[in-house]
Amino acid sequence: MRIAAGVLLVFTSLSSSSVIAQGPPQGAPGRGGGPPPTPRASAPIDLTGYWVSVISEDWRWRMVTPLKGDAASIPVTQEARKVIDAWDPAKDEAAGVQCKAYGAPAVMRMPGRAHITWQDDTTLKIELDAGTQTRLLHFGGAAAATEAPSWQGYSVAQWERPPQTPGAPPTLPIFAIRIGTRGRALEATTTNLRAGYLRKNGVPYSEKATVSEYFDYHKEPNNDEWFTVTTVVRDPQYLNGPFITSSDFKKEPDGSKYRPTPCSAR
Amino acid sequence: MTHLRLLLIAILACAPLPAAAQVDFSGQWAPVYHEDNPERIPGPELGDYTGLPLNDAARLQADSWDADRISVVSSYQCRPHSSDYGMRGLGNLRVWTELDANQQLLAFHTYMPAWGSERTIWMDGRAHPPDYAEYTFQGFSTGVWEGNMLTITTTHLKTNYYRRNGVPSSDRRTVTEHWTRHSDFLTVVTVVDDPVFFTEPLVRSQNWFNDPGQSLPAFNCEYAPEVLGAQKVPNHLPGSNPYLTEFADWYGLSLDASRGGAETMYPEYRQKMAAPHSKPPDKCQRYCTCGGGFNCNVTAPR
Repeated sequence: MRIAAGVLLVFTSLSSSSVIAQGPPQGAPGRGGGPPPTPRASAPIDLTGYWVSVISEDWRWRMVTPLKGDAASIPVTQEARKVIDAWDPAKDEAAGVQCKAYGAPAVMRMPGRAHITWQDDTTLKIELDAGTQTRLLHFGGAAAATEAPSWQGYSVAQWERPPQTPGAPPTLPIFAIRIGTRGRALEATTTNLRAGYLRKNGVPYSEKATVSEYFDYHKEPNNDEWFTVTTVVRDPQYLNGPFITSSDFKKEPDGSKYRPTPCSAR
Repeated sequence: MTHLRLLLIAILACAPLPAAAQVDFSGQWAPVYHEDNPERIPGPELGDYTGLPLNDAARLQADSWDADRISVVSSYQCRPHSSDYGMRGLGNLRVWTELDANQQLLAFHTYMPAWGSERTIWMDGRAHPPDYAEYTFQGFSTGVWEGNMLTITTTHLKTNYYRRNGVPSSDRRTVTEHWTRHSDFLTVVTVVDDPVFFTEPLVRSQNWFNDPGQSLPAFNCEYAPEVLGAQKVPNHLPGSNPYLTEFADWYGLSLDASRGGAETMYPEYRQKMAAPHSKPPDKCQRYCTCGGGFNCNVTAPR
């Protein structure tokens, strides 16, 4: 029995060394039994600062408003095509909904600059000069049931966890270790969205849309710093399947080029 | 008791020690063409250099390109996509690992059926070969872990293209990749530093989804003389290519913007962008519905 306990102790020790490698998990007690580190304190990557979206992809759909009817690359439904063909920016202006293309499913794809800061220890704020939009990524919590849908919706964030099949039972660390123990990415899920456009030329998403995002930081050999956000939009009404893009942002030394501009429907 | 202790020691000796953080990218990956679909699947328009930090040397070479070259010059007929363009092109992908006798990761291998491209990414810390070593379409790749991100450096690449409309890539380029896996998605950021044809590195990112039902075929390509008696390499001399304005005209763009360049890739360029080269069409006429597959409505130009 003592031997069995010793085996368990040693394997537990091996297992816990993997946990140390990834830092304290969110919500877990800190060292010495103190309060767990805040999401801000336990951030594995630093996304704060000013960033510019460099338009090396989808240039003619992003840098100019595409021609009416151009939904290339987006897996739209037939129902969406009717909305696309009916797009009229004058009607959007008259209705005061010029920001329809600046919602969370599309705004990270807009040409522009982002200013990222911590609003508090559990809320990451992303301000975007395109359309003067503000996104709040909440670590923990959920949207209040009474909250009205909005362009940016409600975003719940977490730092990436080690990869494991959702719902999988606990596994014994015998003859196997967990890999991918040190997560680096920021994950966000956004719901409670007001219906809008995936592109400025009226390619729609509905209020049923959800957005999953993964922010990855990378530093290049020339010391340029970047983050790439992979955006997965799901919409049972207007998309045939998940719409997946990834947008690349380069860090800037300051906010001298950050110029908030109003939404434009054209 | 002594035997039990020996058994315990033996078990512990066999137990793998916690390794540096890593992710297993093995499996079948289906590409997602939700970015630049018309360029990547049916193929780019002539004279579309948007989104590329090109210099004048690159434009000069691209302007001279003629698609008939593929039919006349046999060495172009079966020319593979290089490993950097391949990640942007027809990118169905299979990844598998090679382990050493101690079950440590020696290399990732990748296979893409487009031109049967097979590639090795060495993970054992070996150095890149000297500059005089062989250059290939897949190049020489080494990888390191940065947390859950696999960062790959590739050198020794043959000349190839950044876009299938003649935009060239040089054999002086170095390619850095960052692979990340989130849920069932794979994202690869590709950073190309090409001192011959770029004024700054080109950074793009591509996406795949895990597709266990995907099976990749072999690729067969045979050289064949398609234009008998051809006496010259099809080309356009400087200033003589009549097709370079079509792209701007069809999509309502300024001609300067269609010529690419680093300046055109930043948001502030929109403030100084010239007017469209000609009056834009009232609505989209070409490639308007290119979605996940080949359902593009390619209609005749105006």
